This record gives sequence, structure tokens and C-alpha cells, in this order.
Amino acid sequence: MYTHLTLAIYFIYVCLGLIGIGIALLFTLRLSHLNKEKKSKYYLQKHQDYFKFIQTHLNGTAALPLPPGKLKELEWRVIQQKCIEWIGQFKGDYREKLVRLCYEAGFVREDIKLLDSLFYGRRIAAAYRLGGMRAAEAVPRLLKMLESEKYTPLTIVVARAVAKSAEQEEQLKEMLQHLLRHGKPIHNMAADIVMESQLDASRLLLKLLDDENPDLVKVALVAMWGQAIPEVVPSLDRLVGAEQTDVRAEAVRLYLSSNPVLKDDTIKSLMADKDWEVRAAVAKSLGSLHAAGSIPLLRSALKDANWWVRNNSAESLTKLGETGFEVLCQVAMNGSGVERETAMYHIERAMQQNNEHEKLDQMVAYNKKKLLYERYFGVAEKRPIRQVAAVGGDYTA
Amino acid sequence: MTVNTIYFTILTFSFRNIMTIFRRSAYSKYNTLSGSELVPSVSLLVPAFNEELTVIENVKCLLTLNYPTYEVIVINDGSSDNTLEVLREEFGLEPLPNPEMRNSIDCQPIRAVYHNPQYPHLFVIDKPNGGKADSLNAGINLSHYPLISSIDADSLLEKDALIRMARMYMENPEETVAIGGDVRIANGCLIENGAVKEVSLPRKMWPMFQAVEYLKAFLGGRIGWSAINGLIIVSGAFGMFRKDYVIAVGGYRGGYPGEDMNIIIKLHRYMLENKLKYRVAFCPEAVCWTQAPDSYRILSNQRKRWGRGNLKNMIENYDMAFNPKYRVMGLLTMPYNIIFEALNPYFKITGLLALVGYTLLDMTNWKILVVFGLINILSGYLLSIGALFLEELAFKRFTKVSDLARLLLFSALKFFGYAQLGGLWRIQGHIQYLRNNNSWGTMTRTSWKEESKAAKTA
Repeated sequence: MYTHLTLAIYFIYVCLGLIGIGIALLFTLRLSHLNKEKKSKYYLQKHQDYFKFIQTHLNGTAALPLPPGKLKELEWRVIQQKCIEWIGQFKGDYREKLVRLCYEAGFVREDIKLLDSLFYGRRIAAAYRLGGMRAAEAVPRLLKMLESEKYTPLTIVVARAVAKSAEQEEQLKEMLQHLLRHGKPIHNMAADIVMESQLDASRLLLKLLDDENPDLVKVALVAMWGQAIPEVVPSLDRLVGAEQTDVRAEAVRLYLSSNPVLKDDTIKSLMADKDWEVRAAVAKSLGSLHAAGSIPLLRSALKDANWWVRNNSAESLTKLGETGFEVLCQVAMNGSGVERETAMYHIERAMQQNNEHEKLDQMVAYNKKKLLYERYFGVAEKRPIRQVAAVGGDYTA
Repeated sequence: MTVNTIYFTILTFSFRNIMTIFRRSAYSKYNTLSGSELVPSVSLLVPAFNEELTVIENVKCLLTLNYPTYEVIVINDGSSDNTLEVLREEFGLEPLPNPEMRNSIDCQPIRAVYHNPQYPHLFVIDKPNGGKADSLNAGINLSHYPLISSIDADSLLEKDALIRMARMYMENPEETVAIGGDVRIANGCLIENGAVKEVSLPRKMWPMFQAVEYLKAFLGGRIGWSAINGLIIVSGAFGMFRKDYVIAVGGYRGGYPGEDMNIIIKLHRYMLENKLKYRVAFCPEAVCWTQAPDSYRILSNQRKRWGRGNLKNMIENYDMAFNPKYRVMGLLTMPYNIIFEALNPYFKITGLLALVGYTLLDMTNWKILVVFGLINILSGYLLSIGALFLEELAFKRFTKVSDLARLLLFSALKFFGYAQLGGLWRIQGHIQYLRNNNSWGTMTRTSWKEESKAAKTA
């Protein structure tokens, strides 16, 4: 018993010791942090004139000078941070000059050295700063780092540093290969990283569309969202028939955003695709393509099992003139279940937009729809009354 | 002692991850991401019951987040005050004639959906009172985006909170089913225009104890649990979920409190039973500020409710405990929660009574009583210091030295009364559960403007 008690007392001493050390460390950390903050503020103030000088001489022809005098380590760091901040804000010659300043001040050299540090924290911090300084010289070393990294949230930091600093398309492609080799479906993140590059990424993206690695193809597809150019159409034509569902869906979406002339057979086969994302994308585009011939297809799609397909089909029908709108009214009047609900929602939405028509033709189109609406549902008393089902329903949302 | 050993183990996992969290946060800039179309769209669900004092400020805060595509859906859960009226008046909302509710999940029929095209991303659902879970289910039925985020109407999100979570989601979108945010106590902070301008500790005693408690639970606990994919709760105040999986598990369970824990248990169960790779993550750099109860009565009501919810969840899912099929959840999280969370107060009481009894019967002496009491307190205090260390290493939200001193002081004081009250409230919650008492209890709110005024005058 006494042995146990002695052990317990020793344990108390250990706890007390650890608590003492813990409290002392906490205060030390806090005070050193406050001290560093205070000094950083002081150095920012001290170098105000230098910063102003740099800002006013950014558009001059001469190279930017280094800060005067012998500086302390923290002072250098504060100046480096300021440069990185400006490099992020400026483009073109201004950025070039600031990057050159970072090289001349030795910031890039010091941080490249730190990439070999034994401490992971220092390596990551250096990689981040090198990206901020658009240090092209560091890219091969950063790519090696990326290659040897396990996938963690910090892999993204290194990948971004490469994207910001790369001066060759091949380097961007290598970065993507390293980033995607872990098998994670991070195509959106990868596309966002590529867009950070100062290079014109469109040529690389075009090449990636023809790559045999489906991950790279998908990155290119998502990176091109909303900016399909005529040059991509041949590649997209091929990818629309790709086997991988997600690649096909992205390709269809991008293809349709380029306002292509679609053949009836193509529309029919795409609207019957087994992947709902493809059907939804096609349904959405048919309205803006003014493909009036597709009204029967959109009418049938109001019964689709997927909410997005139904919703997009109804939205497209409202955009297809009186004929499309009348189909919606008929479904709302005579249909049942989800197709009726979808139709009613979009009819009411279209009717609510009465205050938003500035142009005469828009007003005329609206008034025609209003007449149709009143023919089917009356002016006020015969408005469709929605019945909300409380149980069951749609699991595709 | 066993419970402290488990706490220390979890704390070790938290320490292992803290520097990665710090670096992820420090070396990520969100200015490009927050304007990118590549970020997934999110529906923010805000259940509101009698929140007329805080709801406007909160909705304004939510409408100005740094995030590319999102919508805010406030669900007025049959409030008896003017929650709906103040919302309608402030945002000029009108009822939608045929609101499209998807009815993916069972919930009470709604009365109306309000909208104003001038605020295209704001919807307000009005429905009869059905509880928080029912409100969230109604919000899911109206939501238009693939991710949902539940946010309490008495909470304020930091501008970057959502984009930070989305970044974490984008790091591994296929496996991430839920992400929890860090909840911090806003009492005492200076709040302007729906945002926390100056961080400060609460001045009152009860919120101060809670501030210490939240730091320990979120930083010391949840970081570690999420590292081993054993997180059992994503706080109802702020969490993000994949909508398809929430629908697949039938949405939120109504009728009892603890719906935030319940949905996470259901997600774990679903993913493990269907052998799907997944993670329930915790993102401590995504911060949500909440008003903590500042009186004994409200705090005790809240804790009794938590006790009831916890017990209900443990009883409903007891089959997962010690079942290797459920991996970390079955072998560690569930047993830990049943034994050391739900039943903890009973162990404490019986242990204490036994020791006192032995001493009175002269079977042992006071020295042993003191020694074991001290071990309990000191090891618990060490854990609190560990959590403060995590805060100091990665976040440094409280900048003053006096804040640190106060945190240390209240971390020690909570062993003398507050911890015991916690046990008592939990037992009272269990009694309420057995008596089928399922009321929410009183919860009064202070306007954020009042909070802010108090912070300015302090």
C-alpha cells in the first residue's frame, strides 16, 4: 500500500513539475510572440521611407535599391514580407522589378538554402515564401520536394509555390503529375493551383486535353469552365464519348458552353445518357441554345429521376418562348407528382420576373407568357395550389 | 485515471497535428480561392427559434462571407416572438407562390418560403415548431447545393470560415463526409457589423468557465479524435456536410436533442457498413463565435439537454460499442463515450463516496484521500495546460498576457465546483430522459449590440 502511495506522491511531483514547466513555457511563448509583433511593427515603421521610395520608383527604369544600413534578421524578414505582399498585388514590370529585388537582397538564395533544412517547418515556410517571390530558380528544387512528399494539406502549399514560380509549361505539368499521383480526386483544387501561374495556361490546358492520363484531362476540363475556345472543340468532340463518367460529364458541360450547333441525334443521345450530370448539363444548355426542336425531349425530362435534370429542363422550357412555356403550363395543369411540382415552381418564377424587363421585346415576351398563364390558371382565383408531400420523395438532390 | 490516460493519448494526437494545422492556416491565402468557380457551392442552414434579437445581425454576417457561391436558408421554427417579422421587414421578403421543396427527407409541412429577388441568395422558411433537427431537414429539402452547412442563429462566422472549410473539403472531396468548425465564446468580444472586431475573454464567471472548457474540448479533444477518424460530434453551431450522404442516412433525427452527435454517428455507421472510405474532419481554423449562456439557470438547462441527447445517442447506438466492424468508432469512440462521458458522473460519485466511506470507517486515512484527489486535479489541470499550449502554438487568438493568466486561473478553478456541477447536470439530464421530459428549456439571447456595448465599456 505504502509503495503505491509513494508512487502516487511521485506522480504528483511529476505533475507539479510539468505544470510549472508548462506555465513557464506558455508565458515565454506569449511574451516572445508579443515581443516579435512589437518589433515587426517598429521595423515596418522604421522602413516606411524605404517602402515609399520603392513604391514611387516602381515605374522607373533603374533597378530598385536594397535597404540601407546593416539590418537584423527580423528586419530582413519584414522587408521580404512586404515585397511578397506587393508581388501578389502587382503584375507585369512592377512585379518583375520586385522579384529582381528579392533576388538581389538574397531572399531567394536564403530560402532555397532553407529547402534543405532538417526541419520540415522551415522547408515549408521557405517553399511558401519562394512561391510568393515567384522564384523561378527554385522550381526544380520545389518539384523534387513535391515528388518526395506524402500527400498532406501542405502538399498544396508546395504545389502552389511551383505554379506561381514556374516559367515553363512542362514544370506546371510535372507539378500536376506529382500532385495527382496520390489518387485523390482533387481536380478542382489542382485546376485552381494551375490558374495561379503567371504563364498563359491555356496552351498547356489544350495539350492536357489530349493527354493519356485521365486525371490531367479532368484538370484541364474543370480549369476551362466557362472559357471554352474554338480550338478545344475537336478534343471535346472526342471526350464527349469518353468512358470515364466524370470526364464525359465535364467534357459535355464545357462543350455545351461553347454554344455548339447540336444535331438532333446528338441531343437525343446525350439526354438519354446514363449519367445524370450529362443529362442535366444538356438540359440546361438547350434553353440558352434556343433549341426549340428539343421541347418534346425537355417535356419528357420533367419526369427524370434526378432533381437537377428536371429543374434544368423546366428552366430551359421557360426560355423557349411561348411554346416551351405552354408545355410547362400543360404539365402543371394535367401532370402529377414531381413533374407537376417542377413545372409549377418555374411558371411562378417566370411570372415573378415582371419587374425585370427593361427592353420592349422582353416585355412583349413576358406579356405573352402572362396571357398563357391566365388562360390556364385564371387571373387570381384559379392559381395552382401546391401540395407539399411530407414523406418520401426525391433522393437525387 | 483511465479517463485521463485516454485524454492524454488524444491530446498527443492533437499535438502531432497542431503544427500541420498552423502551417496549413498560415501558408494558405484565400483571396483567389474565395473568388473561384472551382470551389463547391454551399447551402447554409440556419434554424431559428425565438432569435429576434440576434438573427438580423447573423444573417447580415452570413450574407457577406468571403465565398463564391452559397445561399443562406433561415428556418423559422415556429418562433413565438417576432423572428419572422423582423426578417421580412429587414430584407423585404415576400412569400414564394410555389416554393420548390424537394422532400428528400421527412419533415413537417412548411407554411411558406420567403424570398426577395434583391437578396437572391437568401431564403426564409416558415414552419410550425418541430425542433432543430426538423428545421434542418426542411432546410435540406429546399437547399440547392451539394454541400450543406448548419449554423446556429446565435453564432457569428468569421469571414473566411467557410472558405477554410471548403479548402479542407477540396483536399479530399471524395472521402470527406463532414467537417466540424471551431466554436469559440463571443461573450466579452467587441462585435461590429456582424463580425468579431476585438477578441477578449468573457467578463462573467459562467461564460469564462465555458471558454476554458471549449478550448479544451475543441483543441485538446477534437483535433486528436479527428486525426484517428473517431470524431463523434460536429458541433451544431457550425459544421459542413455532404448533402448526398446526409440524405442517404435519412437526415437529422428529430424528437431529441443531440442531433449534431446523432448525424455524425449515423454517417460513421453508414460509411462503415457500406465499406466506403471516408473521413469526418475537424477544421480548427474555421471559427464560429457563439453566445454562451451567462446565468446558472440557462447553463444548467443547456447541459441537462446535452446530457439527455448524449444518453439517447448512446442507447440508440450501443450495438456499435466494442464491435470491431465499426473500427475506431466501435473500439474506441463509442466505448469511451459510454463509459467516460455518459457514465462518468456515476463513477466519480461512487468513487468519491467509497473513498470518503473508507476514510470514515478508518479503512484508509485522509492522506490517501488527499493524494488521489490531488492526482485527479493535477492531471486534469495538465490537460488544460496542454490545450492552452495548442492555442498558443497555432492560433494565438487571445493576445494579452492577462488573458493567459485568466485562462490558467479558471482552468484551475473549474475543479472546485464547476466540474462537479457538470456531473450533476448530466445526471439531472439522465433523470429527465428517464422521465420522458424532453423540453428544450429556457434560452434567452442578448442582442449582439448589447454584447458589444458591454465589451466597449469594459
